[in-house]
Amino acid sequence: MTHTDPRAGDYVVATHGLSKRYGRESALEHVDLRVPDGAVYVLVGVNGAGKSTLFKVLMNLERPDAGTAEVFGLDTGRAGPEVRAQVGYVPERQDAPYRSMTCARLLRHAAAFYPEWDHAYADHLTRALGVRPQRRVGGLSKGETRRLQLVLALAYRPPLLLLDEPTDGLDPVVRRRALALLAEHLADAPTTVLISTHHIHEMESLADHVGVLREGRLVAQMPRDELQRTVRSYRLEVPDAWAAPRELQPTGLRRSSAGRDVQCTLVGEEREVARRLAATGARVRQVSTLALEDAALAFLPEDPS
Amino acid sequence: MTAPAYRTAERRARGARPPLPRLRSVLAEQVRATGHALRGPALIAAALLALVTLFAASQVLSRGVDLTLNAWPTQLPGLMGALLPIAVWARDERFGPAFLWTLPVDRRRHALTKALAGWVWLMAGVALFVLWLLAVTSASGGRALPPETLHVVTSQVAAAGPLDPAALRTVRWAPGPLIWAVPFTAATATYLLGSALVLGSRHPLRWVIGTVLSYVLSSIASEAASAQLRAGWLDDAPGRLLRLLVDSRYGLDALLTARIESLSNPAALTTGESTIVWWGVPDLADWRTATLLWTGAGLLALWAAASRHRERRRA
Repeated sequence: MTHTDPRAGDYVVATHGLSKRYGRESALEHVDLRVPDGAVYVLVGVNGAGKSTLFKVLMNLERPDAGTAEVFGLDTGRAGPEVRAQVGYVPERQDAPYRSMTCARLLRHAAAFYPEWDHAYADHLTRALGVRPQRRVGGLSKGETRRLQLVLALAYRPPLLLLDEPTDGLDPVVRRRALALLAEHLADAPTTVLISTHHIHEMESLADHVGVLREGRLVAQMPRDELQRTVRSYRLEVPDAWAAPRELQPTGLRRSSAGRDVQCTLVGEEREVARRLAATGARVRQVSTLALEDAALAFLPEDPS
Repeated sequence: MTAPAYRTAERRARGARPPLPRLRSVLAEQVRATGHALRGPALIAAALLALVTLFAASQVLSRGVDLTLNAWPTQLPGLMGALLPIAVWARDERFGPAFLWTLPVDRRRHALTKALAGWVWLMAGVALFVLWLLAVTSASGGRALPPETLHVVTSQVAAAGPLDPAALRTVRWAPGPLIWAVPFTAATATYLLGSALVLGSRHPLRWVIGTVLSYVLSSIASEAASAQLRAGWLDDAPGRLLRLLVDSRYGLDALLTARIESLSNPAALTTGESTIVWWGVPDLADWRTATLLWTGAGLLALWAAASRHRERRRA
């Protein structure tokens, strides 16, 4: 269910039939991702769905088996340095490089590779995220490493941020501060963000596009308002032995029943859904919108096995 | 909006892409970062040199030993060159999504730049080592590169058994200042080969152990096969191959010591005395050719190893 027009050219990130296998395991299958300029695109998926592999392909750290990826119109396989110069990347793994360096030394090291590194902003981020400059990288906790990675990714104000579980390992206080800094960052300089997270609710105020990866396939991709308009919770009064039309169910029916009342999440324009339900003998009693997280999760199976 | 943020926004409005770092800046930073990473090994080396210095000083002071510097016998710079790549690359996950590879520099070029940064420190280390040798020699009242009297074996003599002193001719040999280049070129060539191994293979230690094991096993096998099959050409075949690689005219020893090690060895004389005999006079032309060959091979191997990390271009 991809509602973002694949023909339009104004995408910061565009992949075309991207596939990647690790042995017999398929990590990505024919993924056509489209991230519009200036979007905050949230990529959702269970562990192992292929999110990190997709990020690595965009950074040219992994070679796809098929398909191509473009960032700002540049082929990631042919223009790796030019692509990486425009990307702030927070990797999934929380092991910081060069463990014998202090945080300040590592930041100076990274600054040498980005002519537009903003030292004052790096200092600001360092203070705001509570990174202690004189601590050795090897002695940092998981959360501290994550904070340092965020400073490394943001300090040169790249036009694209690839954030792979950026708040993973952060305590609630720092997590909130990190998200506030991200919002501040987006307000300060025009930036496109592709972010993968298990904490979708955190992105409620920032996200404007959503993609769902399931077993390496991009099963949904659309603007956030479209997602929340087309994925809704319906309370129905249904006849005996009623079954919902298959085309309205993203991953099989999520329902809770009480007598002849059924509560379920269905996909489609509300009027069209109501028309189809009526054809099956069901009567819509109430329709309610879903939070971003619930709407996105509608595309993921409740039982991952 | 801060001034840098404003500039960033303005640049983006113009559609300009962020600039790439200049190669000179990348090299300068890699030299600094590699120096940082080499502090540990450097401290260990300094401590060892200090111990040796103390030992030498105690020998000179207590026993009046004359420490005459011989620049040639040392294979240490070559060993330093071979081992340094391990320290240079220890902190990078070469075959994974290392931080190094996420930076906006062409990956092969970046790998070569980092190797070059390590070489800069290697040359500094070798220079310090040579200066230390000179300082120790000078402090002890010895002389650097004094002319040597070599007992050279005439070609008619068989190698086995005690040597007749009449078969030795005496040659006065002064190495010349070019011999000071040997530690630097030896370290450079072994560094290139070591870097190629570390950068090009996921498990360099396994390759080293595997090579040694292969040599031992093939030696045993060739000996057995030679006896069984009565094939004389098989006898000590791996040993001969190794000697070709190490002791031949352009072998490793020509690179590391200008053949001073392989051309000389202690020998018993028919008079009952023993002395160092030479099977030829070292010729720096052999060293020059060996250096060209080994350094060229090292450069090619390093290029091939760095190419394993090149930007992953699709077919």
